[in-house]
Amino acid sequence: MPSTLEKIRILGANSKYDICASTASSRSNKYPKLFGASKKWIGATASAGICHSYTPDGRCMSLFKTLFTNKCIYSCKYCFTQGCKQKLSFTPEEYARTFMKLYSMNVVEGVFITSGVCRSADDTTEDMLEAVRLLRFKYNFQGYIHFKCLPGLSQHLLKEAISLSDRISVNSEASTTDFLSEIAEQKDYKNDIITRQRWLKAIRIKHNEEVLKKMKDQKRDNELEYQEKKIIEHRKNGYKKFRWDDAPILNSGQTTQFVVGAAEEETDWDLLKRIDWQYKAVDMRRAYFSAFIPLEGTPLAKKKAAPLEREHRLYQSDWLLRIYHYKLKDLKDILTDEGNLPFGDPKVHFAREYFKEHSLVDPNETTYQELIRVPGIGPISAKRIINLQNQNYKFTRREQLKSVGVVLKRADPFLKINGKNQTTLQKFFITNENNIFQESV
Amino acid sequence: MNNRNSCKDPMEVLGRSKGYSQKELIKNLPRHYKYNSNLLNQIKNTPEVILRNLGSPIAKKVDKMLKEIFAEAYRAKQFTRTEINNKSVLFGVVLLKHKVMDLVLDYFHKRWPQCIICLYNEHTQLTGIINEKGITQEIKQSLKEVVKKISRKRQISPYFEDIQFSNDEIFETLYQSQNIKERKNTRYFNSMIPKHCFKLPGMRKGVEKRFTSKNKKIEEYFK
Ligand code: SF4
Repeated sequence: MPSTLEKIRILGANSKYDICASTASSRSNKYPKLFGASKKWIGATASAGICHSYTPDGRCMSLFKTLFTNKCIYSCKYCFTQGCKQKLSFTPEEYARTFMKLYSMNVVEGVFITSGVCRSADDTTEDMLEAVRLLRFKYNFQGYIHFKCLPGLSQHLLKEAISLSDRISVNSEASTTDFLSEIAEQKDYKNDIITRQRWLKAIRIKHNEEVLKKMKDQKRDNELEYQEKKIIEHRKNGYKKFRWDDAPILNSGQTTQFVVGAAEEETDWDLLKRIDWQYKAVDMRRAYFSAFIPLEGTPLAKKKAAPLEREHRLYQSDWLLRIYHYKLKDLKDILTDEGNLPFGDPKVHFAREYFKEHSLVDPNETTYQELIRVPGIGPISAKRIINLQNQNYKFTRREQLKSVGVVLKRADPFLKINGKNQTTLQKFFITNENNIFQESV
Repeated sequence: MNNRNSCKDPMEVLGRSKGYSQKELIKNLPRHYKYNSNLLNQIKNTPEVILRNLGSPIAKKVDKMLKEIFAEAYRAKQFTRTEINNKSVLFGVVLLKHKVMDLVLDYFHKRWPQCIICLYNEHTQLTGIINEKGITQEIKQSLKEVVKKISRKRQISPYFEDIQFSNDEIFETLYQSQNIKERKNTRYFNSMIPKHCFKLPGMRKGVEKRFTSKNKKIEEYFK
């Protein structure tokens, strides 16, 4: 009988390529108490998340992240479990108790529960849910839980998972049906992934609309007292039937992950198109990218690893789509002939193209949309500049821009103040070529 | 800077990227170990616009002081390692130069509301305690004594007895399992856990240090 430590060692290693960067949950601000104000609940979430440790590559390691089981009926070509001879599973109680111990040591912030598909998605999810139920209702843990939706999961189980978790993720792995079947032939892109992502959106919207309506109808004064009463009511009917009453569900939204470079001809453009669609169509909170690493014992063991640089560029472009609200076609303009992102910061590449045809930006007169196209100016500093424009304050010296958070070194070549610009673009591209292109990952 | 409405420079206030308000400064500066009442008077008599403008020497100074305070509290929340006993007493050791014990205690109290939290501060050699009601106090006694004394009066809680098993090995195993050798990036790691964090009590023997240590073990030379 393998020990718990042995299970953590193997199942933890099997899950290490699954990415979950954040432990932040909006629940902490608006709804500090998950199930009411009772003192029996343990744990808390932080709106910015807290990292209790970092792995040697600098990634935050704040969640108890292991597979629930590494037995799997699928045979995805890139997957670690393919090469792992020892097949193990946690029991729900063992999983929950191990986590609580780690939580009491202040080394983890929450749970990331994921798994191989043993027998069927529903069977395995039942076991995973049992572990989460134990955490919530035996150990009274009200902190952060990230739940992985397994391919082909039934809607009723997904609903329960939603009711117990802060975040759910459905891994896309690839950008299209064809690319997915190349690396995971048993998975059905449309049914196993897209349909589940759509369900998540629909369930969330329906719940939140109902809650808002109820809140408006009742015009309650005391949120916590109200919640407490409702919980007692619900408790009589068994805990499975309720969730944290009246709080918007899935506070940290749904996420997804792509294996970058596992499918032979998949380009950055394919991936960008897919995430752009997901942000718009299924309310995706964010996408994660994991550069493909060939693993011993898997069918792709001989394939070349994808460069980390590529993963980094995808994150940068994703940031431009998600936070800066760039249009997808803006990014198309900077792609290489093969459809990949060029070496170097995509925002700088975009600015180079854009300002060939447009005049330089005067922060005293320009719009928000123009400002965020300038490297070194992000949404926050752009908003501050617009705020100042509205108040009729004028920048007279470029250094003043530093006080609103502009990174002047990067922004300077694209700006003009009082009709003057600091340096010519041409000069900038020559002198800063190294800076742009030798940026570290 | 052109400002038609006032001779001061409110632009930094409206569009500031950094800086703290006068209220925040008055509330939190006394936490700093280098704080003195003259500084507080100076803050009270300085207009907010100047305090917000990091170009002014006074603003630069107090901004730095506040950052040091909050950074210390945040690092303590991140890297304090605690233990819990079956009498629902959660305890650990911290190293706090500034007066932020209340912030750190409160953080643990919110997570473990039925526990009494005891944190021994190596710097002041005082043990900070917060009870279930959220009342805090600091006493001059060692952590061991305090935990023993408090535990004596408390009943065994089946809940906490239930999660009393194993030891640091669990975290060490989990940490090792998450390491992806191919992605090692020491520069990034150092920016996430700066060297001074390894001086914190919870991190001194931390598995993180051993993993990123430059010193090779003898067997590694034979690989
Ligand atoms: S479904 Fe595929 S990726 Fe997931 S555990 Fe099974 S084989 Fe691995």
